[in-house]
Amino acid sequence: MSATASHGGVMMLPSPSRPLQHQRPPTVTGSDMFRVRRKEPRGLRLVVAATAKYKGTKMREEKLSEMIEEKVKEATEVCEADVRSEECKVAWDEVEEVSQARADLRIKLKFLNQDPLESFCQENPETDECRIYED
Amino acid sequence: MAVSTIYSTQALNSTHFLTSSPSSSSKQVFFYRRQTNRRFNTIITCAAQQTVVIGLAADSGCGKSTFMRRLTSVFGGAAEPPKGGNPDSNTLISDMTTVICLDDYHSLDRTGRKEKGVTALDPRANDFDLMYEQVKALKSGIAVEKPIYNHVTGLLDAPELIQPPKILVIEGLHPMFDERVRELLDFSIYLDISNEVKFAWKIQRDMAERGHSLESIKASIEARKPDFDAFIDPQKQYADAVIEVLPTQLIPDDNEGKVLRVRLIMKEGVKYFSPVYLFDEGSTISWIPCGRKLTCSYPGIKFNYQPDSYFDNEVSVVEMDGQFDRLDELIYVESHLSNLSTKFYGEVTQQMLKHADFPGSNNGTGLFQTIVGLKIRDLYEQLIANKANAPTEAAKA
Repeated sequence: MSATASHGGVMMLPSPSRPLQHQRPPTVTGSDMFRVRRKEPRGLRLVVAATAKYKGTKMREEKLSEMIEEKVKEATEVCEADVRSEECKVAWDEVEEVSQARADLRIKLKFLNQDPLESFCQENPETDECRIYED
Repeated sequence: MAVSTIYSTQALNSTHFLTSSPSSSSKQVFFYRRQTNRRFNTIITCAAQQTVVIGLAADSGCGKSTFMRRLTSVFGGAAEPPKGGNPDSNTLISDMTTVICLDDYHSLDRTGRKEKGVTALDPRANDFDLMYEQVKALKSGIAVEKPIYNHVTGLLDAPELIQPPKILVIEGLHPMFDERVRELLDFSIYLDISNEVKFAWKIQRDMAERGHSLESIKASIEARKPDFDAFIDPQKQYADAVIEVLPTQLIPDDNEGKVLRVRLIMKEGVKYFSPVYLFDEGSTISWIPCGRKLTCSYPGIKFNYQPDSYFDNEVSVVEMDGQFDRLDELIYVESHLSNLSTKFYGEVTQQMLKHADFPGSNNGTGLFQTIVGLKIRDLYEQLIANKANAPTEAAKA
């Protein structure tokens, strides 16, 4: 309530401390109205989004992508025998679960700028998982 | 918010004693004083913080990030995962709200489900007793140690402590499945995506992944459909609000799923919830805002409003087909809708712009999700005001 009113009528996306420049996904969001607002300069730091910040997150991303590939293959095989069997249902449900997990991680990183390891890595910056991922 | 009145007694000596009632939601303290033949009872009632519980049902686990973000941002503040906890936690916490993913109540992990041959959609994979106990506890102001279902590993991780929030949102596949849990909900929403739109969205979601193809996406939807229709879909009859997402009727033979027709189906007679309407409550309206005052680009915008019946319930339906292209279209539409529960003119528009990057920001999905968020805020404020006015009781025998 007060958080929104404090924008004082200027319709601005509240900018996070790490501004990002990202590619709009090919969905229904594109429109001039929203592009106009984003001409505002956001500061000098540009972070390319959709890449993980920490090694641990990058590893998670890759693991999920691999799992999707594996599980799709598995499901295709299992369902060849009987497309109505329980095994077939469960196999595709697993594909769905992992696909959604992958998409959730992508959304977090891309739209919300929230790396799941953020708070863990602030406490434990020396762990392997928390090495900053260099592209 | 605790409301209580303390009556002080002159002296608390051995003729006085205290007992407290076992009821968890309203703590009562009884003072007894035996004096000769007369007995005084003074009952002090403290209403402990009553958490408002909202249920949100939809397919695909807890990835309804956009809806959740819109909802929590209406209350102010961003929703974030619990700090310093399990990085794979599904929970989101903001100042006023806590969002719990019901997948955390899976009784079977991925391996267990494979062994038993049940999908996550199947009630047999979920512990409704635990769900009921914990939602009930949180509603009464008691913290719980809630399990964590890790979607990456497919295992059940160590539990996390959840403090009772002001507003608890339970989202997932089965918020309205169990009757006892249903009774705990102050408001419930069902997100009903039609098959064509689901297919289009999943393509957008998955096509970039190297494991997926059109066939695999289709096969996955088909394989899950029987369980979905049997266990998830029937919940919509219990929802106070249903957001139905369908392909547009404005573009003949459109199969891209980019332009959407979205219907907000609102149950009549729900306490603290006054349905949104267009122009005249209870009438039937068809409205195309584009014309002389407002120019829209193809395919334009079309609104409908009408009373209807939905699974034997009286409902009001507001429907939007098409897309917003410009700020002034959004403001124009907002100014013609009534009962929005906004606190100032343009609040809906402002909320939409706050999350302009999210999918659905230029069509009915974003619009109705935002409106539902405002309705929930309204409901919350009414509920709290009601409890504050509930008199503290003092009875003297």
